[in-house]
Amino acid sequence: MTDEGLRFVAMALAIGLGAIGPGAGIGVVFSGALQAMGRNPEAEGMLRTYMFLGFALAEVPFILSLVFGLLIGFSII
Amino acid sequence: MRMRNAVLVALAIGAVMYFGLGLVFPREDLHISVKAEALMCIGGAMDAAHPGECVSGFPITNSLVTTIIVDLLLVLTVVFGVRRAQMVPRGFQNFIELVVGTFYDFAVGVDKKNVAKFFPFAATAFLLIILSNLLGLIPGAGSIGMCQPYAHAATAGAEGEGKHTESVYANWPLVCDAGEKLIPYLRAPSADLNMTLALGLISVVLIQYFGLKALGWEYLVRFFNFREGPMFTVIGIIELISEFIRIVSFAFRLFGNIFAGEVVLVVLASLFPYMLPLPFYAFEVFVAAMQAIIFSVLTLVFMSMATQAHGGGHEEAEHGAAAH
Repeated sequence: MTDEGLRFVAMALAIGLGAIGPGAGIGVVFSGALQAMGRNPEAEGMLRTYMFLGFALAEVPFILSLVFGLLIGFSII
Repeated sequence: MRMRNAVLVALAIGAVMYFGLGLVFPREDLHISVKAEALMCIGGAMDAAHPGECVSGFPITNSLVTTIIVDLLLVLTVVFGVRRAQMVPRGFQNFIELVVGTFYDFAVGVDKKNVAKFFPFAATAFLLIILSNLLGLIPGAGSIGMCQPYAHAATAGAEGEGKHTESVYANWPLVCDAGEKLIPYLRAPSADLNMTLALGLISVVLIQYFGLKALGWEYLVRFFNFREGPMFTVIGIIELISEFIRIVSFAFRLFGNIFAGEVVLVVLASLFPYMLPLPFYAFEVFVAAMQAIIFSVLTLVFMSMATQAHGGGHEEAEHGAAAH
């Protein structure tokens, strides 16, 4: 395998493996928020705020892995 | 049953068109450009070996052209919509009031007290992002363009380096000759990292501004907290780092989603045109709206968090406990 091919495999692995955790985490965030909204509809406004906050926090690892994947793939690092 | 037959007939027609037209128009390898290509260079010259890049001068990129179109659309819509604003809206004013009012109600749900301060930027970002996302999905954006001679093409395969940065939208059936690459006239502004990075920077700077304005120097205690023991010092450092990560995550969330959507559409259109891209196209329209909502709501949430005093949550909890 050439160095270039190895680089693409590394990029694919970085993005793909980095997507597993945040995917599950975002699912947990939204499922928890929807359950809470269903049980207590009056709290929907506050819950929506924290739902998007949790979404943003859960997505950070994927964004970092995407950035590093692109950095690897375009031979910047 | 009839539904299934209709789908089967549509698939059969698509397959016949695919193979029939595939004989007429030969296909090339598809190439995708990560960065926006320059259409012309003001006061400079285009790089002959790398079409779409400027040697010198100010580059007018295809995403800049689309951004100006989006700006003109927004400004003209608002100017003509509310030029003669009436208490009881008629005609087009109804539509603008519907859009702004719906988003205002949403923003009130996030932060009731400071909504008047946060709303202008969040709503502007929402309208700008949703229009620029949708403009990139119009058929023809990204596939209609000019063919530029592509001197680098012969050596690109041998070098390997720069092979993936030199790229062409060769959207079939609009194919350039061999040795030429297609530079589209229009490209979604959100599929350009410069645009999303600028939006993320503006958003994060505004968050700090509102935090400092609301709390004064007390705002910085959340980053440099030496009063309440070593644990809070470490948490403050993590908060400081996360402020910088917010810029990156704002920029790459929008860029990644919109650019990945374009790549998926291009790849599917080249694999199996006419039928397969349709559900993905509908999904991209949904993603375009969703990303605009996520950007503006996250901006609102971060702004509302920045204006709350450090440890404000405890007081709120105590008040809540006292009220019950």
